[in-house]
Amino acid sequence: MTTIRRSLFGLVLVALAAAQALGAASTTSNVTVSATVAATAKLSLSSSTVSFANADPDATPSITATEGAITITAKGKTSTGSTITLTVLAADDLKSGTDSIAITNLTWTSSGAGFVAGTMNKSSAQSVASWTNSGSRAGTQTYALANSWSYPTGSYTATATYTLTAP
Amino acid sequence: MSRRYSPILAVCAALGFILLAAPAVRAQTLTLSIAPSTIAFANADPDTTPSIAAPSITVSYRVRGNASGAWRITLVASGDLTAGSATIPITNVTWTATPAPPFQSGTMSRTLAQTLASGSGNVQQSTNATVVFRLSNSWTHNAGTYSASIVFTLTAP
Amino acid sequence: MSVIQAVPGAPTLHRLGYHGGVMRVWAVSLVVAALLVAGALVDAASLSRTATATATINAVARLTLSSTSLAFPDTDPDTTPAIPASGGAITITAKARTTIGDTVTLVVQAADDLRSGLDTILATQLRWTSTGTGFVAGTMSKTAAQSVASWTSSGAWSGTQSYTLLNSWTYATGTYSTTLTYTLTAP
Repeated sequence: MTTIRRSLFGLVLVALAAAQALGAASTTSNVTVSATVAATAKLSLSSSTVSFANADPDATPSITATEGAITITAKGKTSTGSTITLTVLAADDLKSGTDSIAITNLTWTSSGAGFVAGTMNKSSAQSVASWTNSGSRAGTQTYALANSWSYPTGSYTATATYTLTAP
Repeated sequence: MSRRYSPILAVCAALGFILLAAPAVRAQTLTLSIAPSTIAFANADPDTTPSIAAPSITVSYRVRGNASGAWRITLVASGDLTAGSATIPITNVTWTATPAPPFQSGTMSRTLAQTLASGSGNVQQSTNATVVFRLSNSWTHNAGTYSASIVFTLTAP
Repeated sequence: MSVIQAVPGAPTLHRLGYHGGVMRVWAVSLVVAALLVAGALVDAASLSRTATATATINAVARLTLSSTSLAFPDTDPDTTPAIPASGGAITITAKARTTIGDTVTLVVQAADDLRSGLDTILATQLRWTSTGTGFVAGTMSKTAAQSVASWTSSGAWSGTQSYTLLNSWTYATGTYSTTLTYTLTAP
């Protein structure tokens, strides 16, 4: 014969309450973004040569460049309110040996926002265009050489330097 | 006269033999208690607490009238830890127990009773053991309040 | 002599006499023996107690970013129309616990446009592409949080974000900055 003695009886069902409400949870994290924009200038010309053919001064008092208009693209980054300038300066008069044609006989007309007409100079840079603030601009220059019966024969050359400045 | 009583004597002898041959009649007494009867795993960060220990429980047991017979305490869960449709496999629950032996460590199961302790003979005095359950923590555990029943069984077969 | 006394009203026993008495003793003995044997087999015992295991899992969200800064250097807009961040991709690790079936979300919002004094670069110039399960590409906004990633139910996930800043000749010179706030939500 067998006996089973039952001791302290406990069948307690306890569902522990959560230490804190289950609820929703969120967390955040920050990232700092920095971007550097430095003064930059970039200039491109559709042609690096301008040539003028021989012409009868009576029929062609102003000789237009054979290449036609030069397209100029000027890109510059500058501080707000600053002026980006494009100038041109001839190194010397047009020369053929010891003969010369005054560089001031070279003039241009322009098209495009900010572009202006002008007369070449070998002493001081001449304004080709100017703009306020950063940006990318394009325009044209059409050169013309004043013709004259007084020009000695020859092949004349001169170098003009364009300078784009983004302060 | 002896002829008349010899069948009776034979019967008595047979009875005596049966009585001697049969196992000793014993009054087995088993005592088992669990305190507390709740095993609570608190919420914890899986990154800092990969294994959550519940407060220890005390298992008190006593086995008498067992002669040289074996005894065993087993555990089995009623199912996985469940909170609505969310579950945590009960195999994520393990335990350690002292004194070892006769107690031993193990992993919970809902299909097969696992041995918590075993021995033989009697445990004359009520004896206490400490069991600590642990839940393997994971970011994959969905939020909820889970529960499962664990049945402790002392047997002396 | 009968072993068992004749009992009035029990004619069967009385008629058996001596031989019937021996039979009866045999029968009783066998029954007693059977009972004793059967009783000796019934000595197994078991006792059960039930405990309840509970586990509390609360909603929680944890977010880790491999870098808390993004830098875009000055570059030529013609050659680099979209400036990649100099530090490369940001690795994002999101860990969250939520109710089963609920959606865990990660969003980002800029505090403002990128600013350098009075000059600005629109926050919408900031774009990103992503890798990793649940992560999506997007465009920054200062007015509405933009989705970076989303997942269903609890878990831990990792992915990357590669930011670019659209470049332009119209940007005024300066050092611009803004703050991006990432928010991970486990409902």
